[in-house]
Amino acid sequence: MTNHTLSLAWRLFRHETKRGELTIILLAIILSVASVLSLSLFSERLKSALTEKSAEFIAADRVLDSNKPVDLAWIEKAQQMGLNTAHQTYARSMVFANEQMDLVDLRAADKGYPLKGEVKVAEKPFSPGTAINQLPNSGEAWLESQLFQTLAINIGDSIEVGDKIFKVSKVLTEVPDAGFSVFGGDPKVLISKVDLAATNVEGPGSRVNYSYFFTGEGDVLDEYYDWLEPQLDRELHDWDSIEDDESGIGRAVGRAGKYFLLASLLAIVLAAVSIAVAAQRYSMRHYDPVAIMKTLGAPKKMVQQIYLLQILFITILGLLIGVVLGFLIQQLVVAAIADKVDVSIDVWHWKPLIIAIFTGSVCAILFSLYPLMKLFSVSPLRVLRRDLGANLSSRLIQFVASGGAIFLLMWAYSQNIEVSAILFVSGIILVISLLAMTFGLIWVGRKLGQGKMGAWQLAWARIHRRAMDNSVQLISFAVTIMLLLIVLVMRNDMVQQWQNQLPQGTPNYFLVNISQAQQPNLQQHFADNQVVIEKFYPVVRGRFVAVNDEKVRTAVSKEDPDEQTRGRDGLGREANLTWSNTLQKGTEVVKGKWLGDNDDTDTVAERPYEVSIEQGIAERMDLSLGDKLTFNIGSEIVDLEVTSIRNVNWQSMQPNFFFVIEPRALKSFIPTYISSFNLPTERKADITELMKPFANVTLIDVDARINQLRNIVDQVSLAVEFILVLVLAAGALVLIAQVQASMDERQQELAILRTLGAKGTLIRASVVFEFIIIGVVAGAMAAAATEFSLYMLQTQIFEMPANWHLEYWFIAPIVGALVVGVLGALGCWRLLSLNTSHLLRQMV
Amino acid sequence: MIKTNGISKTVTTTQGQLQILKPISFDVKAGESVAIVGASGSGKSTLLSLLAGLDEVSEGEIYLDGQAMQNMDEEQRAQLRGAKVGFIFQSFMLVQSLTALENIMLPAEIAGHADAKKRALDILELVGLEHRASHYPNQLSGGEQQRVAIARAFISEPKILFADEPTGNLDAANSDKIEKLLFELNQNSNTTLVLVTHDSKLADKCQRQLHMQAGELTEVFATPVSEQAAQKVG
Repeated sequence: MTNHTLSLAWRLFRHETKRGELTIILLAIILSVASVLSLSLFSERLKSALTEKSAEFIAADRVLDSNKPVDLAWIEKAQQMGLNTAHQTYARSMVFANEQMDLVDLRAADKGYPLKGEVKVAEKPFSPGTAINQLPNSGEAWLESQLFQTLAINIGDSIEVGDKIFKVSKVLTEVPDAGFSVFGGDPKVLISKVDLAATNVEGPGSRVNYSYFFTGEGDVLDEYYDWLEPQLDRELHDWDSIEDDESGIGRAVGRAGKYFLLASLLAIVLAAVSIAVAAQRYSMRHYDPVAIMKTLGAPKKMVQQIYLLQILFITILGLLIGVVLGFLIQQLVVAAIADKVDVSIDVWHWKPLIIAIFTGSVCAILFSLYPLMKLFSVSPLRVLRRDLGANLSSRLIQFVASGGAIFLLMWAYSQNIEVSAILFVSGIILVISLLAMTFGLIWVGRKLGQGKMGAWQLAWARIHRRAMDNSVQLISFAVTIMLLLIVLVMRNDMVQQWQNQLPQGTPNYFLVNISQAQQPNLQQHFADNQVVIEKFYPVVRGRFVAVNDEKVRTAVSKEDPDEQTRGRDGLGREANLTWSNTLQKGTEVVKGKWLGDNDDTDTVAERPYEVSIEQGIAERMDLSLGDKLTFNIGSEIVDLEVTSIRNVNWQSMQPNFFFVIEPRALKSFIPTYISSFNLPTERKADITELMKPFANVTLIDVDARINQLRNIVDQVSLAVEFILVLVLAAGALVLIAQVQASMDERQQELAILRTLGAKGTLIRASVVFEFIIIGVVAGAMAAAATEFSLYMLQTQIFEMPANWHLEYWFIAPIVGALVVGVLGALGCWRLLSLNTSHLLRQMV
Repeated sequence: MIKTNGISKTVTTTQGQLQILKPISFDVKAGESVAIVGASGSGKSTLLSLLAGLDEVSEGEIYLDGQAMQNMDEEQRAQLRGAKVGFIFQSFMLVQSLTALENIMLPAEIAGHADAKKRALDILELVGLEHRASHYPNQLSGGEQQRVAIARAFISEPKILFADEPTGNLDAANSDKIEKLLFELNQNSNTTLVLVTHDSKLADKCQRQLHMQAGELTEVFATPVSEQAAQKVG
């Protein structure tokens, strides 16, 4: 490359920047870099904030669960690596007081616990708790509210746990790692680890589990796990992080992460579209200079170097401004939501910066490549024959090149070929449909554009004449509208679904152990106190003893990871069995047939009793349809055949059961009942009064857990809103750029019409009509493509139910027409405000 | 300087092959000024584009300063244009994002002359636009733009200058000035001039006229010396 080439390129770049020739393409690059940087930086920070928040639900960043104490060297190694550690032992044990007893979930914690989240305590049972920064002193125990009821004790009384007596010093209202299921979990008792040995509960045959908590930097944790993994025994150990968490929180965070990824991917596509549009415009505006240079003897190589250098200069400038702008936007957003979402701005993430720069460069280079190739092919003969354009005319190359580039970018960024493929395929379908639509339009336009030349006819005539250009423009409008719709609808559906899980009035108290005789009185008493009580579920307790006549004890202890034991089981001992002819709301049969379906009354008496089991337990215990389960209920043995497997939503905070049995099997047993109700927080004080007449009924308070869930759902929803606003802003800018670019192409025609004396109102109306028509078509096509993409995304990626979005079939064309029409009108107004000679001179 | 032998141009249209330039043979001597005249659509510009190597001939041979252009590809023709040819166009064809001075420098820079700026400044003075050096084309009048274009055409000291309707976009007063400037520079630098025009007054200033009609060269005649002299004095 000669100095002349460099200096010429630099001079052209400098002048063109000054004269605003490069504004659109520069803006497009700035936009791509700024939006990708701000989005990914924000989502990276948000993700750490959410992971941090979610980590509270396992009380640490990582947890090692074990059925036996682990080698102390493992913990020492973690400490040497700079990780924080804590330890807790869990045991199922009987607690005695006042000649009452109850089975409890005994937790003995050492002083580091909890590494994440808070322990909350209260001075009175069933009252709101406050966070406390310490653990029970030696000899003291903190008990959950319901134990005060079942053991008939007060603060200051003593209880007996194994061989040791503890003084009850506080009511335990919340521990971070409580889990989210309501039943099966026994009331918790928290003691200091130093007292555990004295209780002697860790004897042979006892059910004791050990949790080791770790916090620290993500990479150190990963490094530690790499060291630890070869030494772990799958039968004994389980390494958990919140990302593995199957609970509502884990899924909400996982889904939000995917949403951010989707939003960023769409932002990249938006940016790419705007760069492609801008590069096209840039290329067309340089046909003349290229023809002149070639005429004056410039070799092709020199022309190529000059323009590639210009793109390089523009890209570098765009990257610089984009990075600064993206950082500022992100900083503003973080500042704006600082009081609602705990996002730390102290941590700098390099990945988003690298991604943004990579995206900006790849977009700028790949998307300007085809327009540049066209530019290079301009013949010098254009200096004599002004109608000559570029010789390269295969749009297929353009579609394949830009499509491939978009796909590669999405894939590289997401490292998720599924998301990329879904978006990409729907994009292709959109483009093909749009092309078909455009040619339909040409045909319609030929008919509609005939007759006296009014604004409407002018609009159609222009669409007809510029069919190919319009098709490109139409595609870019439709893609933009589609991407915005996807981001909007996904956000609505996702937030809606989260909120549906925990609607206002979700039960926050559960009643267990209601006797048959008490049931009507309790219902009446609650009604008198304006508390709505939910359905009563009959329950008998049964011990699960065998599967297909094989004793279950070994099967249970072997397969039953203690995370599950702690959370939702009851299988180590007695299970709650209920019966029902109807399937509970929010559950569905995934295999087999629901109890008694397709039964013939004559054969009922002959076939075995049916049981429907929950999917999770079926997987865990390796149960399948047709298996024979044996329960010991009271003194009787009952055999049941698995006829259906249900999917149960454990996050619904409704009473749910592992085993639902057909009523026939249990008619000879006397049940107790389970029910639930919602008591607003402001009426919390009434609870003692409300429960007074029913001393034997156990009350379980799940308010704290619901609030934990709500809190995180609210934070994630809010974050999603901000992402939505960012993407909408990016989309709006792209639309403006597109209208601006197409306005340019209309300049010549406007100047001629103006020169010929056409009134401003006619010209303006014709341009507005043209844009409205394009907007309506783009909107309609976008709605169709959105529906398809959403169906794929929701079913394949977000694992949520897909539904129709009919409203957008109306909204999208209207909004398309409005937005594109208004932008067109504004662009046109700018052109018409210039005088005709200025317009003409600009064309030369 | 230019030697043509049966050159023709055929284009493919939707209706089939169309010969827009019938076989033509003529020579142009070094230092000679030749006008190609004829009505619109008679094939003047096509002939010019072939002579200048902007387009390829369909048939025939064409030699520019002894070099056979029919055998050259676009790159070689560009090289030849850069080395030996200057251009002036009806619509000036200045690069809008370069200043007057930079537009003039362009051919010298493309050719790799180290003193491009000095040359450009000298010639800018010659065309009387030194005070407009840093103006962009759209800040100049039509006459001024064409003067910049003339300066650009002469900066590389071309052996042949092709001009396509050089006064077509100008008013009478500006046309006269431009014509005068063009012929002065042409004479001073002993350049061969080939211009396309339908302005008979301008054509009369050339030593020879080629008349085109419907793609055919119908007449070649020399302009009487007295007429040339009278025009120059006028």
